[in-house]
Amino acid sequence: MKVVFVTPRYGPEVMGGAESAARLLAEHLAAQPGFEVAAYSTCALDHITWENEVPAGTTDMNGVTLTRFAVARRREEEFFRFDGKLRLSPRHVSWEQSQRWLDLNGPDVPDLIEALRDGDADVAVFSPYLFLVTVAGIRAARMPTLLHAAAHDEPALYLPAIGDAFARSDALCYYTAAERRLVQRIYPVAEKPQIVLGIGLGDPTEGGRSGGDLLGLGDRPYLISVGRVDDHKGSAMLDTFFRRYKEHHPGPLALALVGRVHSTIEPHPDIVLTGEVDEPTKWDLLRDAMAAVSPSAMESFSMVVMEAWEQAVPVVVNALCEPTRDHCAHSGGGLWFGSYRQFEVVIDRLSADAELRRRLGASGRAYVQEHYQWPALTARYGRFLTSVVERGRTTPA
Amino acid sequence: MSGGGPDSPAGTAADDLAAAHEYLAKVMAEIDEEVLHRRSTGDLPERVERELDNLFLLYSPMAGRDGSMEEALGAAEAASFIDPVVPVDSSKSGGALVKRTIRRASLWYVGWVAEQISQFAAATSRSLRVLDDRVRAMQTEFDAQRVPAALVLETEWAHGPGAWWVEPVLTSLAGQGGRIVHAAAGDGWLVRNIAQAGLDVYGVEPREGRIDRAEVEGLDLREEPVLDHLRAIAPGGLGALVLTGVVDGMTVAERDAVVRLAAHTLAPSGRVIIHSLSKEGWTSERAPVEADLAAGNPLRPGTWATLLGRVGFDVEVLEGPASLDYLVIGVSDGGGEGVGSTR
Repeated sequence: MKVVFVTPRYGPEVMGGAESAARLLAEHLAAQPGFEVAAYSTCALDHITWENEVPAGTTDMNGVTLTRFAVARRREEEFFRFDGKLRLSPRHVSWEQSQRWLDLNGPDVPDLIEALRDGDADVAVFSPYLFLVTVAGIRAARMPTLLHAAAHDEPALYLPAIGDAFARSDALCYYTAAERRLVQRIYPVAEKPQIVLGIGLGDPTEGGRSGGDLLGLGDRPYLISVGRVDDHKGSAMLDTFFRRYKEHHPGPLALALVGRVHSTIEPHPDIVLTGEVDEPTKWDLLRDAMAAVSPSAMESFSMVVMEAWEQAVPVVVNALCEPTRDHCAHSGGGLWFGSYRQFEVVIDRLSADAELRRRLGASGRAYVQEHYQWPALTARYGRFLTSVVERGRTTPA
Repeated sequence: MSGGGPDSPAGTAADDLAAAHEYLAKVMAEIDEEVLHRRSTGDLPERVERELDNLFLLYSPMAGRDGSMEEALGAAEAASFIDPVVPVDSSKSGGALVKRTIRRASLWYVGWVAEQISQFAAATSRSLRVLDDRVRAMQTEFDAQRVPAALVLETEWAHGPGAWWVEPVLTSLAGQGGRIVHAAAGDGWLVRNIAQAGLDVYGVEPREGRIDRAEVEGLDLREEPVLDHLRAIAPGGLGALVLTGVVDGMTVAERDAVVRLAAHTLAPSGRVIIHSLSKEGWTSERAPVEADLAAGNPLRPGTWATLLGRVGFDVEVLEGPASLDYLVIGVSDGGGEGVGSTR
């Protein structure tokens, strides 16, 4: 089966979550027998400007035949003014306005669209939903189309032209059931073939060192929060909650914030800021943590939660984050907090109850092993792609 | 997870998962109880708790908040005081002194304006509180009278692979174009049967934990309330709708929605197939416990024929052995699409 992935940017240097996930999926699918995988993308690496930075042409990247097409025009400042205007009431935007928004948002890649129109792939996979290349590509493709929306509850999701992409897709792929609920609240697409796939997890590449030693904590127990240290990610809230917790619960428990720091975190004897760390260090730190905390309310999947569970470490998540809370509820592998009081009690329980930690960690690990290991995930995805191809192009191109 | 966790070699994966869910629910209930207990001790000043909780809500999606009215009011109240004493910190040398001088010189003016804005904001939030109290009182009354969604029925004799109606359903669906949906799908046994006949089928199951392994097996099953799912389908998007164990105990409003949604979601020549216990089956000893708990009672088969006929279906009724249950098969004449706006 010939599969072509279409993303606005492609490559290991691209940090966008949906684009990275699509690339990893393409690479793992390419390693499966019976799949010939190509990727169509742009010469741009910056999603703000869409400036052509890498040469056009076809290369091989980790088993995927990658073809880059030049972007016809940079993104103009007018987009941001127009976007600000439409964001105020996205549900009431006209078709023409939303199409204008898409045109301004870009990337405009006419040669890519032409290649899709003339292509011989059996199925075209698009991700994420937000961009012109996705919407125009789904409209143009003659082969069956699959949309990995990576949808968030954001104004653009409500624009009519975006709805057209959902309606014209032959099938849908979601990161989580929460994403599916969100999309179905907005668009009547429930009957379309679909799968809640998630993202696969690679094998841990541990460095073989003690997490406590790496943090300078010795044998002290610690909570870990991995990811950008950023107010929008809940880091400031976690920092404040933990300080408050320690005022009233003195003891050895520490907190490690692991990731690039974008917030102001005042020094505290029980809080360690590591900055960015390499993969082996991350896995060592996760393995020895008492629990991993995901304080963000805005996650669409959360690889970090999966990575903690891979190490049989229980997780604590923000109760208002539907995807991570769903993960906990479905796996039985983590607790959640929706207030400081709940945070305090959750941490008390986890600190005092080793059996609780063991059970949560074991449940989480079983969940990851069953649903989010690449071999199982690519096998499911392969079966799903086969069924999409068998149905053929069901919506008009 | 008592009796064997996910790493227990003795239990099956499904048993382990069910045990993990039970254990998690127990732990979270204990946590909630402890939260209430600690609140009652007053060890954390209310003001501090509110500040901490406001911080929690600062970067949260509004749509995801439980009790968002209370939180919105709390946020409005917290913001209703306008502080005229502006911060004077500065990274530039002498900047703080300049700012402090400006603040001192303008405080009488800024303070006068700020006081009026604060009074206006406080009056507004008080009004919203009054409104909230009234809405809460109405909601309490409404909740007391609320009819729960119909429970899914499941009995071995009427809702399993050995039931008499399975063969007629498969026969009726033979050659059916378009997507077929079965609800309540359970673990997907009927979906599997229909798929084996070469048809394009998926399932919807409203009960939690029934379909966890389905996607792993390659079945397209969704855990969703049935009516919510039907409301999220495009007009004419289905080839057939098969409902078993779903409509028996429905209320009048729910049944009305089923009829309208069948007309709305089925393509021309699409089929709606409904299995229900009869009134005799409903009151027999062989009926499941849900029969006693449901808000509604089964319709007579002829009533379904009438209701579906009104929205453009040609209806056939098959009665089961001893008249304990029946099957209604309706074929759309194509005039029903879009009947009744359901979204």
